[in-house]
Amino acid sequence: MRRSMPSPDAAGAPGPHLATCAGCGLVCDDITAVVAAGGAIERLDRTCPLGDAWFADRAAPAAPAARVDGREVPLDTALDEAAAILGRARAPLVYGLGQTTCEAQRAAVALADAIGATIDPAGPALDGASGLAFQARGASTATLGDIRDRAEVVVVWRADPVATHPRLLERLRLPAGGRTLVILDDRRTATAEQADVFVEVPAGRDVETLWTLRALVREERVAGDPDAALADLAARLRGCENGAILHHVHGHVAALALHALVRDLDRITHVVSATLRHEGNAAGAEDVLAWQTGYPAAVSLAGGHPRTSPGEFGAAAVLARGDADAALVVGSDPLGHLPAAAAERLRAIPVVSVDARDTATADAARVAFTTAAGGVHRPGVVHRLDGVPVPLRAVLASERPGDEEILQAIAERIARAGEGAA
Amino acid sequence: MTLRITGGRVYDPANGVDGEVRDVCLRDGKVVDDVPDHATRIDARGRVVMPGGVDIHAHIAGPKVNAARRLAPEEHRGDVQDRTAIMRSGTGGTVPSTFVTGYRYALLGYTTVVEAATPPLAARHVLSELRDTPMIDALFLLLMGNNVALFDLIRRDPARVRDAVAWWLQSTGGYGVKLVNPGGVEQWKHGNGNVTSLDDDVAGVTPRQVLDAITGAVHALGLPHPVHVHCNNLGVAGNWRTTMDTLRTLEGRRAHLAHLQFHAYGGRPGGRPRSKAPEIAEYLGAHPELSADVGQVMFGPATTMTADAPVSAVLRDITNGKWVNADTEVETGCGIVPFTYKEKNYVHALQWGIGLELFLLSRDPWRTVLSTDHPNGGSFLSYPRLIRLLMDRDFRNDQLRRANTKAIRSTVLLDDLDREYTLGEIAIITRAGPARLLGLEHKGHLGAGADADVTIYDEREDREEMFATPRYVIKGGRVVVRDGELVEALAGDLLRVDVPHDPDVEDVLRERFDEHYTVRFENYPVREPWLLEPARQVAARPL
Repeated sequence: MRRSMPSPDAAGAPGPHLATCAGCGLVCDDITAVVAAGGAIERLDRTCPLGDAWFADRAAPAAPAARVDGREVPLDTALDEAAAILGRARAPLVYGLGQTTCEAQRAAVALADAIGATIDPAGPALDGASGLAFQARGASTATLGDIRDRAEVVVVWRADPVATHPRLLERLRLPAGGRTLVILDDRRTATAEQADVFVEVPAGRDVETLWTLRALVREERVAGDPDAALADLAARLRGCENGAILHHVHGHVAALALHALVRDLDRITHVVSATLRHEGNAAGAEDVLAWQTGYPAAVSLAGGHPRTSPGEFGAAAVLARGDADAALVVGSDPLGHLPAAAAERLRAIPVVSVDARDTATADAARVAFTTAAGGVHRPGVVHRLDGVPVPLRAVLASERPGDEEILQAIAERIARAGEGAA
Repeated sequence: MTLRITGGRVYDPANGVDGEVRDVCLRDGKVVDDVPDHATRIDARGRVVMPGGVDIHAHIAGPKVNAARRLAPEEHRGDVQDRTAIMRSGTGGTVPSTFVTGYRYALLGYTTVVEAATPPLAARHVLSELRDTPMIDALFLLLMGNNVALFDLIRRDPARVRDAVAWWLQSTGGYGVKLVNPGGVEQWKHGNGNVTSLDDDVAGVTPRQVLDAITGAVHALGLPHPVHVHCNNLGVAGNWRTTMDTLRTLEGRRAHLAHLQFHAYGGRPGGRPRSKAPEIAEYLGAHPELSADVGQVMFGPATTMTADAPVSAVLRDITNGKWVNADTEVETGCGIVPFTYKEKNYVHALQWGIGLELFLLSRDPWRTVLSTDHPNGGSFLSYPRLIRLLMDRDFRNDQLRRANTKAIRSTVLLDDLDREYTLGEIAIITRAGPARLLGLEHKGHLGAGADADVTIYDEREDREEMFATPRYVIKGGRVVVRDGELVEALAGDLLRVDVPHDPDVEDVLRERFDEHYTVRFENYPVREPWLLEPARQVAARPL
């Protein structure tokens, strides 16, 4: 039977539109946005509260399209100023990227290459350092559909998706008879309330807990009495044909321990893991950077070619050392999430912000572009937290340029200035 | 733009030209019979002129390739590309960044490359990377051997399979169909199993049924490239029986066998492999409907990456090093293991030897073409060395003496197999043959109307040096490499198949989407113009 589907009309046309929400890493593409006669979104179907906020933050930003020092200016003036700042910077930093489209991410990496910037997506700061564990050992992973259809045991490690990815359980058809949902955390979160099994793990005990689990899974001797809950979890994981661990571990060592556990399990049965990334296109940011440079994060292009050094070229470290003299922030609000020392430095250097939202970083920036939003005003592609590319659709019309157009315009101005100087 | 390439020895086997000194004329991106006298001239005297290279089987773009890039920062560190006025910066190693992949193919004289294993669900990712891979025209093959929605159709509604295959190709911008260990990867996703024979049951079908149904669909659709098969039991001792069984199942229909070397092993499973290259080469020679690329392994670093995830788990347990497994819902799996082939290792030397046997015993260069299954058997940058191995008996014999003696003795390489490939044969296995097998009528030759993709080499005795650094490379009529240096960076085209489908199949598939996928049916087909254009469509010729 053919389900009745809203037709994807021209952006802004009254009536129902297919829409995709990039409000978190799940990127739900089954949203219907009903547009009213005045050209605003009047109703959203199947969104979660995060999704409602995601659309609302972008649909009608209060900030003007272009500002310099907080004052509205013509677009060209702001582009000239942005190009001047980034073109003359000796050590520019490009940061963010997780909340814009792959198209804009490509433009941002191209710009970073042209100006010899250090470029670092916000994902590692927001979602932990599983990238390094991946580089060290690799990983076993799966797309959401295979986890939904195959995993008999789903473990959520140190994450509360009911709050951060509200439709995760629904999309994985959990809880469900015959499948077990296990939550490990230091408190009974909203997600824990949905779980078949809750295992309390004190904060800061991830590595020890994972190591104990590894020993249990490998049926090695554990000093003292093994925790009954962990022994039970180890038995469940050993006993399933297909299992999944969805996590939000922080820190290299915990991530490495988690990957090691999954690898141990994969000698026995089929187990995968996935990071519950927060941003809608955090995966895309790392993917684009990796295919263009070879490295997913913390890339310096200052020497004329890509180099990586996660401790050294990560945005927080670069800023804290005072090693950036200008910053381009794309689709991110680092003043809201970077460590205080780094945020303080960011306030002290000229910042160009390119974002569909009005953020604290944009308000404090030397130049701020408030853009047409991918997924609201512009189509685009994002990579879901499991890497699956999903199209965003334009629901509303907007006269403003999108992130990609702004980044390309800045790059063109810098290139022209370079030719003029030569 | 008009060009006249004068005085070179031309190797254009598709048009029966074998080293004759003649001019090649180019105008508006095409080869033409003649150009006016004022056309720009390229002096090719003392040089060898061939069509641009065509790589029929490589892994250059998409989530699997990108995961391999992320896995190996240590490979990139020592092999960098600086940005220049015309080039983006990037990194190399066995899995270079996208821009570097394009530049290096061009610098090698290759102008068309097949990405051989695309999960349909990841088509947008593959296309995005191809957009960032300059210099080459690219096409990709869709993985269809472990698609449970197709399994379902094969079981319950086999008449629809043909239209479903067409729908998938049209929806993704794909060019052809790839089967990888049909059934075995699906089995892997169920608790790490694999199939061992073509008659094992997997989700209600057998590998043989999948092979038969998809081959039949590709045949009936009249796709320009036949079904491209990575047989079951890759790498397993004794797998030549599976390979022969697969070939018999094809029953006279056209098929291309990927990286045949990995499927030509005698012996017993779990035991020491032996060479069955002579038997396989014999069968291939006698069956003109079949073709293969060799999948030569080259001693040194490689990165194994495959949709055949259970094979990667075996390699993981050999290296105990880095390993990636990635399951794609409905469609396929993926495994990645960095790997080094060592000449003193029995198995590696045997693999190397079997590849050479397949080349040297081949009766028809048009149907046994060059590949290293880049980067599985080695980087595409090792093609010049492979060409020297084929063209230079003394060099080959010297290399044979360095390799594991026991392995080489078990091949026929020491039994006066003294064949040396000619330049004309090299032109066949590296461009004319692959282009013909792919059904790319405008590639791989220099007749009037062909794409103006031309490579000009200095004639040198050391064939490795000769083929490693072409003097000129011309892409679409533009000189992109001059004196071994990249002088223009340009974007290539996507080459995709144009194959119509009965729209009714969409309703059938839509139901299965709601059940199996987590992406909505309406969002699955690629529509983004930046991903699909510029492209050239090659029409299927349905029966």
